[in-house]
Amino acid sequence: MSLLIAAFGFGLVSMSVIALAAVGFTMQFGITNMINLAYGEVMIASAYLAYYLNKAGISIWIAMLGGAAFGAVFSFLINRFVYAPFQRKGTALLGMVIVSLAISLMISNAMLPIVGYFSVSYRERFSHLLHVGALALTVNQIAIIVLAMGVMLAVHGLLRYTRLGKAMRATAANPTLARNCGIPTQRVIDVVWLITGGLCGLAGVVAALDSDSFMIASGAGFLITALAAAVLGGAGQPYGAMIGAVVIGLVTELSAAVWAPDYKQVVAFGILVLVMVLRPQGLLAKRGALAAAG
Amino acid sequence: MNTYYAANLLIFAGVDIIACLALNLQFGVSGVVNFSFIIFQAAGAYAAAILSMPPDTAPDYSFQIYVGGYQLPFPIPWIGGAVAGALLALPVGVVVLRRLRADYQAIALLVTSIIANTVINNARPLLNGAAGVALVPQPLQDQFNTNANSYQYLYIALTAICVALVWFVAARIVNSPYGRTLRAMRDNEIAATALGKNPTALKMTIFTVGGAIAGLSGAILVGFLTVWAPSTWLYPETIILFAAVIVGGRGNNLGAILGALLVPVGFEEVTRLLGRMNVGPPNLIPALEWVCIGLFILGFLWFRPKGVLPEPRHVFAGGPIEEDTRWIEGTRAS
Repeated sequence: MSLLIAAFGFGLVSMSVIALAAVGFTMQFGITNMINLAYGEVMIASAYLAYYLNKAGISIWIAMLGGAAFGAVFSFLINRFVYAPFQRKGTALLGMVIVSLAISLMISNAMLPIVGYFSVSYRERFSHLLHVGALALTVNQIAIIVLAMGVMLAVHGLLRYTRLGKAMRATAANPTLARNCGIPTQRVIDVVWLITGGLCGLAGVVAALDSDSFMIASGAGFLITALAAAVLGGAGQPYGAMIGAVVIGLVTELSAAVWAPDYKQVVAFGILVLVMVLRPQGLLAKRGALAAAG
Repeated sequence: MNTYYAANLLIFAGVDIIACLALNLQFGVSGVVNFSFIIFQAAGAYAAAILSMPPDTAPDYSFQIYVGGYQLPFPIPWIGGAVAGALLALPVGVVVLRRLRADYQAIALLVTSIIANTVINNARPLLNGAAGVALVPQPLQDQFNTNANSYQYLYIALTAICVALVWFVAARIVNSPYGRTLRAMRDNEIAATALGKNPTALKMTIFTVGGAIAGLSGAILVGFLTVWAPSTWLYPETIILFAAVIVGGRGNNLGAILGALLVPVGFEEVTRLLGRMNVGPPNLIPALEWVCIGLFILGFLWFRPKGVLPEPRHVFAGGPIEEDTRWIEGTRAS
């Protein structure tokens, strides 16, 4: 029983990390219509940036902001110089998937000679245990949970209560109509890439902090869990991604407790397969994966 | 240029040509973006290995753990490799190809490829985990001295026969009414469905055929290399084949062959030459090569989306028909 409670605690941390990653990923897809397979690699690149800042003596919590800023700028540049030109050229969704996969491959391999093959980890401080009821979590883990909840509330506030959020939702629903109503969709999309890129960078640092160590190859795993949460909730739906993150975070940690920790990603994949077979549109979306492409 | 080097080059070229022809049938002709292509090659390789190896209790093989071990004579392992590829295509196809939208299918297949590699890597009792299977018997090794030059020629000949066979099958599919149906589905799935074609059945068939051919290519490869491990079939290997088909010309069998010679074989040779010159730090060249493959894909999709040898225009009696290439190039935004 105590094992399950401990697993539940890890599940809380896990779902926070996944939610941060999945919300950015799903917003990119929902608003800019881009399934960005380079997302995991941008996460890892940001994590490495924070690693070098951390190594230079800066606290990881400040380095995290550096990682988020890097993710924002990097994602913005990728969209500006690669995705947007291809989309303007009229490349179909399938072509864009191939383009983003090529970008992902290029990022990870361009980084390899710089950061090397070996796994690294942050220098963390104050990692002593705190007891909350029957749960025992480190200060870092609690900080991650609080951070994720704060970010989720901020995303909710942005989408619901600001003009920018309204413009984003309009652009997601129908870009042509939004443009005709006087919404500067191009600028909205630029801002979306900055925001989601920031989430991506933040998620990368947090995911790296949560796992004991990380390396270039971890990017694929980050992408898979974010993807599974986004698809489970209904691709393009930020609230769906949050629900997906809760489910995947809990289920993977519980399975790790009762089965084997090596197969966390496999369990996430199992959930993904079940969703694809039983409810391809995801939990919240009305059309999602079933709608005609293009 | 010694015989072993020539054999190495020709056999790799043959395997890459077979793989590119299969991928071209799926991606180029039918529009199924199979990002998990390499797991079908892997399935064929593992199947061929298990069918030809003795059980893991045999004295020389006791350092590895794997299921089966049947010591069957050539050509059963190669046929078994093709069958394994086809059998694996069935469950994957049923889950992925039935209801999902095309871009979701591509992503689901990519994730499948990554996860399959993770599972085989971690589950050691199945296929010896990360270390992989080794000492796989070579075809006909009980009748020939595998170190002799004549055996290299024999292996080249066997590979060539398979290349010819696969090319014949691929050409028959592409030029038949069935191939026309596949292209119709690729160019406009809704229109093809309206004309009474069943896209799911068409995709399943070509997925299985491609899987079988991929399995055969894996069987040929493992017979030559005698080792097979998860690190040889990571998902980027699929991207190289995609780069080959895109560069060569998707939808065109000759284009797929040209692409196989330009991209995987060409890059292999360039690495070998640069490796001999000792340029830069040890990991730099392979990493830069991958960056170049990414650039190749982006460059061709931007400047020449139809590839070096574009798919021939299929014009029928009754006037020229403008072919629909929107399935990948899309429509120009207004």
